[in-house]
Amino acid sequence: MGGLSSVIKLACDGMRDNRLLWALIAGFALFPIYTHFADLPFWNDVAMRIMLLGMAAMGLNLVLGYGGMVSFGHAAFVGIGAYCVAISQVYGISNGWLHLAFAIVACGVAGLVIGYLALRTSGIYFIMITLAFAQMLFFLFVSLEAYGGDDGMSIDRAEFGIIDLYAPLRLYFLIWACLAIVAMVLMFIVRSRFGVTLRAVKSNASRVEAMGLSPLRFKITGYVISAVICGIAGGLFASWQEYVSPDIMHWTRSGELMIIIILGGLGTLAGPLLGAIAFLLLEEFLPVLLGSLAPAYAENWMILFGPLLIMVVLFGRGGLSGMIGRWYAARNAAGKGADRR
Amino acid sequence: MTSTIILEQTFNGLQAGVTLFLVAAGLTLILGIMDFVFLAHGAQVMIGAYFAAAITAASGNFYLGILLAIPLTFASGYVLEFLVIRHLYRRDHMEQVLATFGLILFFNELIRIGFGPAALYSDLPPSLSGFVEILPDTPYPAYRLGVIGVGLACALAIHLFVSRTRIGAMVRAGANNPEMTAALGVNIRILFRLIFAAGACFAGVAGMLLGPLTAVQPGMGEPLLILSLVVIIIGGIGSVRGAFIAAIIVGLADTLGRVFLPGLLRLVFDQATADGAGPALASMLVYILMAVVLIFRPTGLFPAKG
Repeated sequence: MGGLSSVIKLACDGMRDNRLLWALIAGFALFPIYTHFADLPFWNDVAMRIMLLGMAAMGLNLVLGYGGMVSFGHAAFVGIGAYCVAISQVYGISNGWLHLAFAIVACGVAGLVIGYLALRTSGIYFIMITLAFAQMLFFLFVSLEAYGGDDGMSIDRAEFGIIDLYAPLRLYFLIWACLAIVAMVLMFIVRSRFGVTLRAVKSNASRVEAMGLSPLRFKITGYVISAVICGIAGGLFASWQEYVSPDIMHWTRSGELMIIIILGGLGTLAGPLLGAIAFLLLEEFLPVLLGSLAPAYAENWMILFGPLLIMVVLFGRGGLSGMIGRWYAARNAAGKGADRR
Repeated sequence: MTSTIILEQTFNGLQAGVTLFLVAAGLTLILGIMDFVFLAHGAQVMIGAYFAAAITAASGNFYLGILLAIPLTFASGYVLEFLVIRHLYRRDHMEQVLATFGLILFFNELIRIGFGPAALYSDLPPSLSGFVEILPDTPYPAYRLGVIGVGLACALAIHLFVSRTRIGAMVRAGANNPEMTAALGVNIRILFRLIFAAGACFAGVAGMLLGPLTAVQPGMGEPLLILSLVVIIIGGIGSVRGAFIAAIIVGLADTLGRVFLPGLLRLVFDQATADGAGPALASMLVYILMAVVLIFRPTGLFPAKG
C-alpha cells in the first residue's frame, strides 16, 4: 500500500515539476478538436509527425541531455523500429502489438551491442563510432534488395486488434497514447535513483566509480532505454508514413534529432517536444515566409534554416524550454512581489 | 585477365585513397588541435569543385580553372573561420555538430540557388583524356593517374611542411598539447586560422580533381566527409601520417571490396546468399573496419596526443 501511494506521490510531484510537458501533451489531445472545427485536417498529419519526432528526440535526450553521451547515430534505432514493422509484414505478420514487441526487442539488442562497443570510447571518438554504426546499418538496408533496397517499400498500417488505424484519428490517438506513456516512463526514470546516478556520471564519472558504482553499466542501460524509445517511435512512424526506406536512418536524420533537442532545450523533459514543434513549424512556415519575400526561392528555405541553427547555438542558451523557464521565473518573482499580503 | 582487373582496381583504390587524404588532412588537424567537430568540411569540397567548374566553363581552360580556384577556396576557408568558426571553439561538441550542420544546409542551398539543383559535368582537356599503359596491354586513364600523382605530391608537401618547418613544428605541438603550446608563446588562434584555410583549400583541391570524374552537385562532399571522418578516426585524431595510411587503407578496402567481395563470398556460400550479402557487406566494410579499430585501439592507429 505504502509503495503504491509513494508512486502516486512521485507522479504528482513529477507532473507539477513538468507542467510544461503535460500541458503540451494535453494540448496534443485537444488539437484534433481545433483542426475539426477549423477544417484543417492536414494539421493533424503535422501534429502526428511532431509527436513522433518528439518521442524519438525524448529517447535520444536521455543519453544526450541526461547522460552526456553525444550519440550521432540514433536515427538507426528509429530505422530498426520502422523496418521491424515492414519486414514482419513481408512475412505476413500484421499484428501491430507484435510489431511493437519486435521493435522493442530488436532495438534493445542493437542498443546493447552498439552501446557496449561504442561506450569504450568517449568524446569525439564516441560521436564518430555511433555515426559509423548508424552508417553501417544504413548501407545494410540500402543493399537488402529483398526489403526494397534503396527505394524502400510501401506497407500497410498495422492492425491493433479492435483499433482500426484506417479509421479517422485512431492512429493519432495511438501515437498520442504512446507519447504520453513514454513521457510518463521518462519522468519516472529521470527522478529515479537510476536517473540521478546517470546525471552524476555525466558530471563526474570517476566520483561515481569511487562510490562503488559502475558508470559504464549506467551508461549502457541509459543507451538501451533510449534506443528502445526511438524504436517505438520508428515503428509508429512506419504505420504513419505507410512507407519505409533507408532514408529514415540517414545520418542527417540523426542530426535532425539533435537539432530538435538543442532547439527545445537539452536535458529537460519538455524540451524535445517543444523542439519538435518548433522544427516542424519552421519547416512549414519558412518556405511561406521566403515565398512572400522572394517568390522564386520559396523552395530554398534551408538558406534561412542553416544560419538560424547557428544563431540558436551562439545565442540561444538552453533552447526554447530555457527561454520559457526564464520567463516563468521572472513572472513568478514579479508576482510574488506584488501579492505579498 | 584477373591480374589486369586487380591492378586496375588497385589504382582506382589508390586514387580514392589520395583524394580522401586531401579531405582528411585538414580535418584531422581541425579535430586534433582545436578539438573542433567540423562537419561542413564536405561543403569545402563542393565549394572547390564549383569554383573550378565555373571558372573552367567561363574561360574554357581547365588548368586556369584549377589555378584560380585554389586561392579562392583558401580565401573562403579563411573568411568562414573569421566569421563563424572562431566563435564556436569554446562550445561543447554537440553545439559544434549542430552549428556546422547548419553550415552544411546553408552552403548546399546557396549552391542550389546559384547553380541550380542539377549536376554540372565538365569535360577533360584533350591533353588529359587519353590512356597510359601502366603495364603492357593494360591501359589506364591518364587523368586518374594524374590525380594519384597530384594527391601523392600534396601528401608529400604536407608531410614535409608538418615535419620539417617551424610552423609545422607548431602544428605538431598544437595537436599534442594546445594549452602548453599557447603558453610557450605560439599564437594558436592565427595558427589555427591558417590551418583551417589550408585544410579547406586541400579539401577544395580534392573536389576540383574529382569534378571531371563524378558529378559536381550540391551535397557532393557529404559522402566524402563521412568517409574522411572514418579515415581520421582509424588514423588517430590529429595525426597527418595516420590520416595518410588510413586514407589509403580505406580507399583500397572500399574500392576492392565492392569489386571482389561478392565473388569471394561465392567461393564460400551459394550463389543466392553471396549475391545478397556481397554488396551489403562491401558497403559496410569501411565502417566495420573503423569499429574494429576503435574496439581494439580506442584512440586510433597513430594517436597524436601523447
